[in-house]
Amino acid sequence: MRPVPDRDSAEWWAAVRRRELAVQECAGCGTWRFPARAYCPVCRAREWRWRVTDGRARVSSWIVAHQRFHPALAPPYTVVRVCLAQAPGCVLYGTWVGGGEPVAGEPVRAVFTEVDEGLTLIAWEPAG
Amino acid sequence: MNGLRDRTALAGVGYTGFSKDSGVSTLTLACEAILAALSDAGLTTDDVDGIATHRVGDSAAPSVVGPALGVHEPSWYLDQFGGGSVSHAVVGQAMLAVAAGVARTVVCYRAINARSEFRMGGTGRGAPPGPEVQYQAPYGYVAPPQQFAMYARAHMTKYGTKAEHFGQLAVTQRANAVRNPRALMRTPITMDDYLASRWIAEPFRLLDCCLETDGACALVVTTAERAADLRRPRVLVSAAAWGGGDSFLSGGRVDTTVSAAAELAPRLYRAAGIGPEEVDVAEIYDCFTYSVIVQLEDYGFCAKGEGGPFAASGAIGPGGRIPVNTHGGFLSEGYVHGINHIAEAVSQLRGDAGERQVAGAQVALSTAQPGYVLPATSALILRRG
Repeated sequence: MRPVPDRDSAEWWAAVRRRELAVQECAGCGTWRFPARAYCPVCRAREWRWRVTDGRARVSSWIVAHQRFHPALAPPYTVVRVCLAQAPGCVLYGTWVGGGEPVAGEPVRAVFTEVDEGLTLIAWEPAG
Repeated sequence: MNGLRDRTALAGVGYTGFSKDSGVSTLTLACEAILAALSDAGLTTDDVDGIATHRVGDSAAPSVVGPALGVHEPSWYLDQFGGGSVSHAVVGQAMLAVAAGVARTVVCYRAINARSEFRMGGTGRGAPPGPEVQYQAPYGYVAPPQQFAMYARAHMTKYGTKAEHFGQLAVTQRANAVRNPRALMRTPITMDDYLASRWIAEPFRLLDCCLETDGACALVVTTAERAADLRRPRVLVSAAAWGGGDSFLSGGRVDTTVSAAAELAPRLYRAAGIGPEEVDVAEIYDCFTYSVIVQLEDYGFCAKGEGGPFAASGAIGPGGRIPVNTHGGFLSEGYVHGINHIAEAVSQLRGDAGERQVAGAQVALSTAQPGYVLPATSALILRRG
């Protein structure tokens, strides 16, 4: 299922196309945030800049999909929920490409998967 | 003293039959349930001046249902966007409208063809709207059973919650449904049945998941004073609470083992002037087994992390410390998006729950989806009065 970028997220998806996992850094208080939006929820500042992260994260949780939830995706497949190492409040989801089963708290890194000319997605693999 | 406490009442409940294919429109279901609820209360459509529902674009709107029943000029209505998390907020909003005198007799309904027309389980339905979907759907993470499985796994990891804890909850609720003539699933199940049921989204098996049901349920909200003169034993709205929080992507809620109910519960109990120890029966939103486990903790029936062992201890069954989902819940009665939980609480407090009656029930808690999809939840404390 292709993502449908909106006016807040279009630049983020463009960064992913460049194999960059970016988050916003608030110019007012320095808080890093994801997903993209105009105002900082901590200090309400509207000025911010992109920060490219190191792509490191830790596994928060995971599931193994056994039912066919979408016609285009054949089960079983594993989806992980991760918190970024540089900004644990930034939560992302992605396909698990680690082979075995994830472990809670396991260090992982982002892997960029080029689906086609217009789309790159993020997967996660063990960083160990 | 909360100025709203016990000022309004639930004077009637009504149901359609539950099925996998109603064969009729959600408009028909809504009208049937509303007429049944009014009849239960001893009222007619001439008395109705308020209409409310919650829905996600899948059902007949109050602006359609009102005229269809000949209610042409309601003085108040509410068409609340949202799923199970706002189910109890609808009744809370009706409470406000009635207490303020804006309306005198409000019908709250939920009509849904959740099996035959608009499945929520992730097959044959597009992704729901919302800005966060784009970050999840491309990975095949699209459906509620996956989301709640993700949160259940985190609870298992952090607190040692086991499959058998989820299983005992499913077994207990099925046993309750056996005593409920309305329930769709009335064949008893065992722990072996639970463990042998197929994986949906690991760690969830089929029997962790609620039914997808066609049906409708409606409630009549009026003033406490008026309810005293109506035909059924009076059930007072002691407290309603609803509210938001942070979504999981907003950066505010990273630890998913604590639900929005943990923030809501103190406010709810304060408004009612009671604590969890005074609740006799609890109808807890059970879209999945895990959502009950976490709410048992967050509504204060056991310590944080102990919801699994508590649910498996017998404490939530008939004669236990706090009987839960006496109707069988979404897992076994049917899925009417929260309204059938409120209706069951009313039935328990009126003492007309038949074989599944909790003896002497005076106070009931009924809860909504605890904020795991939209960052909001809602709940009611009801009291026989």
